[in-house]
Amino acid sequence: MADMTLTLEQRKLQELVREFTAKHIIPVASEWDEKGEFHEFILEEVKKIGLNCMAVPTEYGGPGYDSVSQSVVMEQFGYGCCAFATTLGGNGLSSYPLAIAGTDEQKKLYYGRLVAGGMGGFALTEPGAGSDAGACSTTAKLDGDEWVLNGTKCFATTCGVASIMVVFASTDPSKGVKGLSAFIVEKEREGFSVGAVEHKMGIRSSNTVELLLKNVRIPKNHLLGNEGEGMKIAMKTLDMARPIVASMAVGVAQRALDAAVAFAKEYLDVNGKPIGLNQAVGFKLADMAIQVEAARQLVRNALHMKEAGVPYTKEAAIAKTFATDTAMHVSADAVGLMGNHGYSKDSFVEKLMRDAKVTQIYEGTNQVQRMVIAGQLLR
Amino acid sequence: MSYALTEEQQLIQQSAREFTQEYIEPIASVIDHTSIHPSAVVQLMAEHDFLGLYLPEEFGGASAGYLSYVLIIEEISRVSGAVASILINHASLAAYSVNRFGTAAQKQAYLSALCSGEKLGAFALTEPGAAPGAGVHKVVAAKEGDNYVLNGHKCYIPNGGVADVYVVFALTSPEAGVKGMSAFIVDGNTAGLTVSRTIGKMGLRGCQSAELIFENVIVSNRNLLGAEGAGMKIAQQAQLAANVAEGAQAIGIAQAAMDDAVRYGKQRIQFGRPIAAFPAIQTMLAEMATNIYIARLAVYDAASLIERGEPFMKEAAMVKLFTGRVGQSALIDVIQIEGGYGYSQEMIASRFYRDIKGAVINESSVEFPEKVIAKDLLA
Repeated sequence: MADMTLTLEQRKLQELVREFTAKHIIPVASEWDEKGEFHEFILEEVKKIGLNCMAVPTEYGGPGYDSVSQSVVMEQFGYGCCAFATTLGGNGLSSYPLAIAGTDEQKKLYYGRLVAGGMGGFALTEPGAGSDAGACSTTAKLDGDEWVLNGTKCFATTCGVASIMVVFASTDPSKGVKGLSAFIVEKEREGFSVGAVEHKMGIRSSNTVELLLKNVRIPKNHLLGNEGEGMKIAMKTLDMARPIVASMAVGVAQRALDAAVAFAKEYLDVNGKPIGLNQAVGFKLADMAIQVEAARQLVRNALHMKEAGVPYTKEAAIAKTFATDTAMHVSADAVGLMGNHGYSKDSFVEKLMRDAKVTQIYEGTNQVQRMVIAGQLLR
Repeated sequence: MSYALTEEQQLIQQSAREFTQEYIEPIASVIDHTSIHPSAVVQLMAEHDFLGLYLPEEFGGASAGYLSYVLIIEEISRVSGAVASILINHASLAAYSVNRFGTAAQKQAYLSALCSGEKLGAFALTEPGAAPGAGVHKVVAAKEGDNYVLNGHKCYIPNGGVADVYVVFALTSPEAGVKGMSAFIVDGNTAGLTVSRTIGKMGLRGCQSAELIFENVIVSNRNLLGAEGAGMKIAQQAQLAANVAEGAQAIGIAQAAMDDAVRYGKQRIQFGRPIAAFPAIQTMLAEMATNIYIARLAVYDAASLIERGEPFMKEAAMVKLFTGRVGQSALIDVIQIEGGYGYSQEMIASRFYRDIKGAVINESSVEFPEKVIAKDLLA
């Protein structure tokens, strides 16, 4: 069915990605999940259709997709495999700080690597600084013409395989949040190394690592924006990323709904009738569909506001919270409805339920989203 | 817990806690990682009279009552949902059916061995693609002289392949559909009964699930459990009795997970204080503690009804419905509180998250609990 709130071009893109997902992602997603391996091969394929770095503007050699188009793509990738979508989403997210605060020279460097097929990373979280990003203990000190970075980052998405990344460090620890700054770090910098790889319950083929920074020296001009602007850049980045995470979550939820519907049509009850004909089951499916559709439209609304250039922080947080809660509940309902089959590896809905949980946690937990929403309401 | 547990019940609870801490907790995550049936643990449970705890002394049980039995299930579930499932399938489904519906001779032949732990039981009801007796793989029992000949497939059978005795549901009058279903006691080593595969699951790994093939399996008419056509009633009664044990399993898992979240919440510092100091986290903890408290009372009450031989169908279905809802919601919140740490594969919270889903979906396939409750209300 045509998605009438999209432009013709966006619908074409949606169709392209739907086919790509069906051909390249869905057949192998369970195997990646089982092995917990990063899916490099598919990245090559994605590059071929020009979707590896969607957010890079055309003047820097990227496709420069508008945010609704990016959302449409990410929903389809989320439908295919949330871990893969997380990798591409993280890639896009890592480039947002450049759009927010990058100089022309910095953009050329950063976008150049992405356009060439390299992956980008975003390293904000630390063992002691999760929701409280201001508690950052990684430091950056100016030494002549270079910044010297020291510290440890954790739960860094894609950073074990990234070519370039944005790393947050404190340039003035006495100032807390206001001492946080953002830097561009290339993986080949001396003193940069990847520590432990995180083994997760879900999105298992997404690469999550610890980053070790030991006297990593980078040029002075790798500072994004000004000293102390790190928190501002991080927050704006997350504003931009929230509807994208929400889009992936809508994809996960849609997949769970589709699986539950297919099951309800096929699985026969004790009387030999498809269980979908049971009103209780039908209503459950309807409730799931209501949530999925509402989530999708909340995401679109936030993005239309963004494209129109009006403040959308609250709407982005609302969309992220609702869509990821929807992914969680709809995937759990799908497993429940499909019973022993859904709970087993014979079906992929158990993977959806493991994957969905992380969407409520990353890119700002849904508690942080509520802090943002409440802050907007009460100011 | 001030529910009026007798001194004996409190002693059983205490010794079960010591047992699980000594013998199960140290290997619980290994059982999960390897998915291997923990036969040594089952042997130890037999030595401690767990396998026949509530079953009559006359047949080698401990006659300790169903409430004592669910106390043990709750304790085991606090460390391993998988081991609890092994015991539930043995005691609440297989042994329950034989004890409730078997003849004196059948009990002599099978219940004694099930109580002593000489034999492990399984309950073979579920079939692939359809409710029992409704699909193309249905198991049919054709009468031939003094025997029945069973043919067909069973799927997702817990303890499948490791059990010695199966309570098997098969159609003796296929034309009558589910009304023509009967129950049989089948020895695991009967010719023609084979395990075609074991099935990977999201959680409860270590409670082996298998697909069983019946190919001209000859079963003596002495092993028909109850009358011909009584299969559905037997299945439903046993499943409802198991629902109460699964309720105990769900609250055991939820309690242990909540304890873990409390521990984490007290030590995790964000924004200068333990996250447990934030009202948002306290609200989540208070909600789950309230739910667990109320659910536990309902589980104990329903178990008491079973113990006293009173009608328990409605209450068991209510336990299933409520513990399913609150158990699921507790684990979604526990991982939320623990964030990226709880989501890690190495953390027990992520195992509990995968396990509780199995505890709340199992055995709900024949009849929805809502239907059982409504039927009782509308009778």
